[in-house]
Amino acid sequence: MNESMGLPTHDADHDRDDASEAALLNAFGYPEPVWQRFVDAPRAGRFDASTPGVVSGRAGTPAARSVLSLQMQFDEHGRVVDARFRAYGCPSSIAVGAWIAEWSLGRSTDDMTGLSASTLRRELEIPEDRAHCALMGEDALRDLLNRYREKLT
Amino acid sequence: MTTAAHPPIYLDYAASTPLDRRVLDAMLPLMVEDGLHANPASSHGPGFRARAAVEKARAQVAALIGAEPGEIIWTSGATESNNLAIKGALEFRGLTQAHVVTSRTEHKCVLDTCRHLETRGVRVTYLKPGALGLVTPEQVIDALTPDTALVSLMWVNNEIGTVHEIERLAPLLRERGVLFHVDAAQAAGRVAIDLSQVPVDLMSLSAHKAYGPKGIGALFVRRRPRARLAPQIHGGGHEQGMRSGTLAPHQIVGMGAAFEILQREGAAEAQRLAALRDRLWAGLQSLPQLHRNGDPMRSAPHVLNVSFEGVEGESLRASLPDLAVSSGSACSSATQEPSYVLRALGRDDELANASLRFSVGRRSTEAEIDAAAARVCQQVRRLREISALWD
Repeated sequence: MNESMGLPTHDADHDRDDASEAALLNAFGYPEPVWQRFVDAPRAGRFDASTPGVVSGRAGTPAARSVLSLQMQFDEHGRVVDARFRAYGCPSSIAVGAWIAEWSLGRSTDDMTGLSASTLRRELEIPEDRAHCALMGEDALRDLLNRYREKLT
Repeated sequence: MTTAAHPPIYLDYAASTPLDRRVLDAMLPLMVEDGLHANPASSHGPGFRARAAVEKARAQVAALIGAEPGEIIWTSGATESNNLAIKGALEFRGLTQAHVVTSRTEHKCVLDTCRHLETRGVRVTYLKPGALGLVTPEQVIDALTPDTALVSLMWVNNEIGTVHEIERLAPLLRERGVLFHVDAAQAAGRVAIDLSQVPVDLMSLSAHKAYGPKGIGALFVRRRPRARLAPQIHGGGHEQGMRSGTLAPHQIVGMGAAFEILQREGAAEAQRLAALRDRLWAGLQSLPQLHRNGDPMRSAPHVLNVSFEGVEGESLRASLPDLAVSSGSACSSATQEPSYVLRALGRDDELANASLRFSVGRRSTEAEIDAAAARVCQQVRRLREISALWD
């Protein structure tokens, strides 16, 4: 499924900084695509304020215990060269942020328009009771794309 | 990091404790083929022997709390004891025009029993504790009405460890002729209890919070002055008519043995636990923005409850699979509502949700405490680095 979305496989893309450490035990039985990204959180963080070409998007509220913030760095052709995310929320929220950040690499805003919550749910195997995490991902990306377009005009 | 191969560090003694080996040794002779299998209510030699074992245990439980053996009624646990005390007292008195005073931070089994009584016409006042979780005797006295039939207040709160001023409140209620029930499931063996000096009328006890077996508890029912209860389980008139059902001598002997150990070792153990609890709190201090829930000046020795700013509770719990800790009271998954106890203290939803209750016990070691503190610090830092709410 990852191939169908053009997502680099996780292990190829992310070098574990400490290979000697055993994996964190998935004691609560989260779906594996969620758990892997929750534990490793690839591209968690944010760009230095001086980084050129960065556009941000945000969704969620602290009261709902879910906030997702996305940052993408675009090149002069409007393609994503690097991306970061930060998430306050359950493991699914964190996984959604990590997934979008990875997926965005090399894509244009047109490529990214229309990424839906249902795609996120399918890719991350997010169950019905966590559908709101996928919706938050969709909303944060839409917010980012809107800001990108505002920047252009 | 820890894998499934490592047993988790158990810091959930307030939820339940392992059976003490000495308790097991006391119980085993009753569970073999030629053991004390007879019904302790039977009138023959084997029955008398089973009865003697039950009565010895009754005396052991009574001794820990300064009661007489005849004031101990066996139940299936603290939940049943709380039900029997509250429903039994109210039914005996008559439900019409009855008023009960309790607190918002009681155990669910007290709150749900009170809610049930409300559907039967009883009026209940749920007192709001102060920010540190304490309901004061003055608050209780102020809430009394001429119709108040019962006050129910826990000795030690199970989530935050706050110790209520039972010794000061009990005489005030006795003066006013109001029956006083105390849920002491977390208190027995951890704080000093002497009911020969403190005029509590009804007190609930549990064995499995005190290194005894699950499925057995007791209700202290004062004889002088007599606290009167309507039974909630009817049958053969066991336990002075207050709780029918064939007694379980192996469980009862286990509770007796557990309480006897507490009487000998409880005070020293409480000191050791308090030191471990303080060591854990000190070990977390490298993290900024921590909030200790409960009253540090009136805290039971075994409980430390902490809220962590900037992290979300479910992710925090999922990050600590190698620690057996609770958030709020016992739960079955990482997903859960914020603790009603912490909300009653005025914590906002985010902080109430991002809380952990650590509770130390007989087998806890300094090495475990240090490892747990390091683990929590590491994972809270990691989640804060990821968090969109942390700068």
